[in-house]
Amino acid sequence: MADLDRAIAQLRACRPIPENEVRELCHKARELLIEEGNVVTVQAPVTICGDIHGQFHDLMELFRVGGDVPDTNYLFMGDFVDRGFYSLESFLLLLCLKVRYPDRMTLIRGNHESRQITTVYGFYDECLRKYGSANVWRYCCDVFDYLALGAIVLGASNTLSPSTGAGGGSSEPIPPELGLTEDDIEIEVRNADGHIMSRFPRQERARRAAAAAAAAARRSNSNGSPTNGAAPAPPEREVVVSAPSNTGPPGSGASGSSGGSVGNPAGAVLCVHGGLSPLIDKVDKIRLLDRKQEVPHEGAMCDLLWSDPDEIDGWGLSPRGAGFLFGADIVKVFNHRNDLSLIARAHQLVMEGFKEMFDATIVTVWSAPNYCYRCGNVAALLELSEDESGLGTYARSNGDVNRSDGGMGDGGGGGGGGGGGQRGVLAENELMSLRMRPGPARRYRVFQAAPQDSRGMPAKKPVADYFL
Amino acid sequence: MSAPGIPNLLSSLRGGRGGRGGRGGRGRGGGRGGSTTTSSSQIHDTVIQGTDSDAAVSRLSAVELGYLDDPFARYFVPQAAPTTTPGAGAARRLPIINRGTYTRTAAIDRLVSQFLSSAGGQAQIISLGAGTDTRCLRLFSQQQQNHQHFGRITYHEIDFPAICRRKLQTIVANPQLRAVLPIDPTCTATPTIHPPPAFPHPPAPLTNIPPSSLNAPSSSTSPPTASKPLHPTTAPIFPPPPTSSTSGEDGGAVPYVWSTLPQNGSQLFCHGLDLRQLAAPTPHNPVTLTGLRTDLPTLLISECCLCYLPPWESNSIISYFSSRIPDLGIVIYEPIRPDDPFGRMMVQNLAARRIAMPTLDVYQQPADQEHRLLQSGFGAVGYKTVDDIWESWVSDDEKERIDELERLDEVEEWKLLAGHYIVVWGWKGQASFSELSGTLET
Repeated sequence: MADLDRAIAQLRACRPIPENEVRELCHKARELLIEEGNVVTVQAPVTICGDIHGQFHDLMELFRVGGDVPDTNYLFMGDFVDRGFYSLESFLLLLCLKVRYPDRMTLIRGNHESRQITTVYGFYDECLRKYGSANVWRYCCDVFDYLALGAIVLGASNTLSPSTGAGGGSSEPIPPELGLTEDDIEIEVRNADGHIMSRFPRQERARRAAAAAAAAARRSNSNGSPTNGAAPAPPEREVVVSAPSNTGPPGSGASGSSGGSVGNPAGAVLCVHGGLSPLIDKVDKIRLLDRKQEVPHEGAMCDLLWSDPDEIDGWGLSPRGAGFLFGADIVKVFNHRNDLSLIARAHQLVMEGFKEMFDATIVTVWSAPNYCYRCGNVAALLELSEDESGLGTYARSNGDVNRSDGGMGDGGGGGGGGGGGQRGVLAENELMSLRMRPGPARRYRVFQAAPQDSRGMPAKKPVADYFL
Repeated sequence: MSAPGIPNLLSSLRGGRGGRGGRGGRGRGGGRGGSTTTSSSQIHDTVIQGTDSDAAVSRLSAVELGYLDDPFARYFVPQAAPTTTPGAGAARRLPIINRGTYTRTAAIDRLVSQFLSSAGGQAQIISLGAGTDTRCLRLFSQQQQNHQHFGRITYHEIDFPAICRRKLQTIVANPQLRAVLPIDPTCTATPTIHPPPAFPHPPAPLTNIPPSSLNAPSSSTSPPTASKPLHPTTAPIFPPPPTSSTSGEDGGAVPYVWSTLPQNGSQLFCHGLDLRQLAAPTPHNPVTLTGLRTDLPTLLISECCLCYLPPWESNSIISYFSSRIPDLGIVIYEPIRPDDPFGRMMVQNLAARRIAMPTLDVYQQPADQEHRLLQSGFGAVGYKTVDDIWESWVSDDEKERIDELERLDEVEEWKLLAGHYIVVWGWKGQASFSELSGTLET
């Protein structure tokens, strides 16, 4: 254990550990991971992170913003390696932390945790450069084969617990004229210093959705969001302070169909790197896959790591050449069938760091700020709080009861500004009858790229490629 | 190409592959930047010249992976050490860069080919900042093999003298290039020369008038050996330069140039010249480009070149040609949208490489680029971003072929990057541009 702590310290300083230590670490990690199922069960509270891509300094910033291990329970949704300068250090550090604190660190596999992809996108070359041979790359790839394919988060709360990350428990009070309490907040966005950038109350959202439904065909130009400007935006970027007129956070398309009554434990959250597969209709089917192999070019395992949600009906071909595109109908049916309130996934760059889609039934979390040192995006992590009502742990079994008290009127044909994706496979009414479980309360922490030389660590000044 | 002292992302990531000067630019740029002068403008010039190596390596990467068919690309990248990466070529770029190189090259090829077809007979192409571009080689080689039935092409390339000389050396040193562009060390540039035995020194170009008073870096390693007058066989082809009557100030008005006669009466002129010299007020501009025809339908190409100059200079350069040549088409490829998060990072990253793109500040949006050409007197102006070009100009079959070359897992990044580059075109004069654009949309 002392060795492990020393290795962690060394990696935290962004210095690679010797080859023999890598071999030993990978061996231990495999022993640990082989015991995990294809779908790991994780209890809230948990902090969910998306792609890292070897951006080591930004991973350190993530830990600063989200809290350190083991204080914070982390779930990383894959793509630790490739593209950035420090895939090796990033992945080995995460792996060390996994071995050191197995219950506080969950790693699932991304499409870049693959032999084939890492030879194209940098990790192979990095290992070769740093060790002079491909041995370390091979050890790491052997670990990749054992990473879980997904995770189920249980016991997430409908209400947010006080913020404990960067900036501590800074909790700006909700303006009293809104008549809301902390418990009403469904979505909270904080910046890297812990200051609240915006908040979206559940009831207000539900009210607005009801208003939108009532306004039916008319232009539902519901009044400006009272949640505007809850906190000053960081001046460096134009973040999401102002809520789009009748939706949740930018890109969320959320407009109230997830607005349940306060106090219910939230449904389970499925975490997966890419998305759904036409071959997987139940989470239990993921558990049946033989995952201990290189990521195949097709099939369920490939789809889970490669697919993307899109504004389409049903399934579509992916521009990536692997996996599929899937629409809102697919997500809603899948969530309903599996008692899920939310799917959290990564895999796609989103400029704002996170993006909720399809009435907040799926969210993309992206944790590599200024991706490839070029894209100019911010990153985010997603915190789910622990449900302390005592109901959370059996939430999965009382789903039917919960499902019958959805907050939506029946004939409204609402869904508000949810945007497309509701036609097709299921008729609209049928879809609307699939009342979704109320989503867990979600706290997003948005952060920017760390200055490369800010932590006294060796750092190369990145030079991004352009078409010249 | 990178600013000295700044490590390169790719060369770092790719170990031996990028570090051999391919991306470093130092390897092939022996004759470039003078070491004794360090004025900021000269540093900038050196950096800008280095972008040509960047393009050459990107081109080779796309060729070796099968995106582009260009047998000449490899001669313009220094010999690369073998790599241990499976399937990796000498200068492998990431898929997103390869796709961009492919798309932009295919788009300009297509515009050029449409121009040549619509011109019918004889036509002229002027490539600004051509550098190591292989387009003329590919065109002339197609002519040789009768793959394309273009008429005679008078092709001008303009770039810094050092780059021009370097290109000549490269061609002379490679029989495969000389087979397309006959270069004779004894200055008898005819298509039927015999390969020269050996070159202790770079060969004397056909026409070699040293640039005077140029702000260009001096070539310390490879000065041309001799200065010879215009070759008599080529002289009659030239019409009198339109501004010859006003160009009596000094003997330096005609810059360094070499030329060759590839085939079928086509010609290539490679002008070693700082483009900014063309930006002087038009009526009094003393610079005469040898072999420039004003009577031919002409296509002016700026493939990421004018963007390095201030807008007034870039516009003056355009008007140098548009004031002389009545039938003039133009194709400009350069970055746009500096003002969104990706664009701001692009400007910042390029600045870290000491690359500035002044036109980017002024022509930020596609509409600005369109307006720019309209103001320069062009009509039938059109544009597409590289992203649009990929979507609408590349056929489904070709897309499928490209997709199979490399799995592109950078879809969102591609949209971002490709959305920040534009190809804009326009036409003035007799030839009908609608004819040109109509066939492009197929």
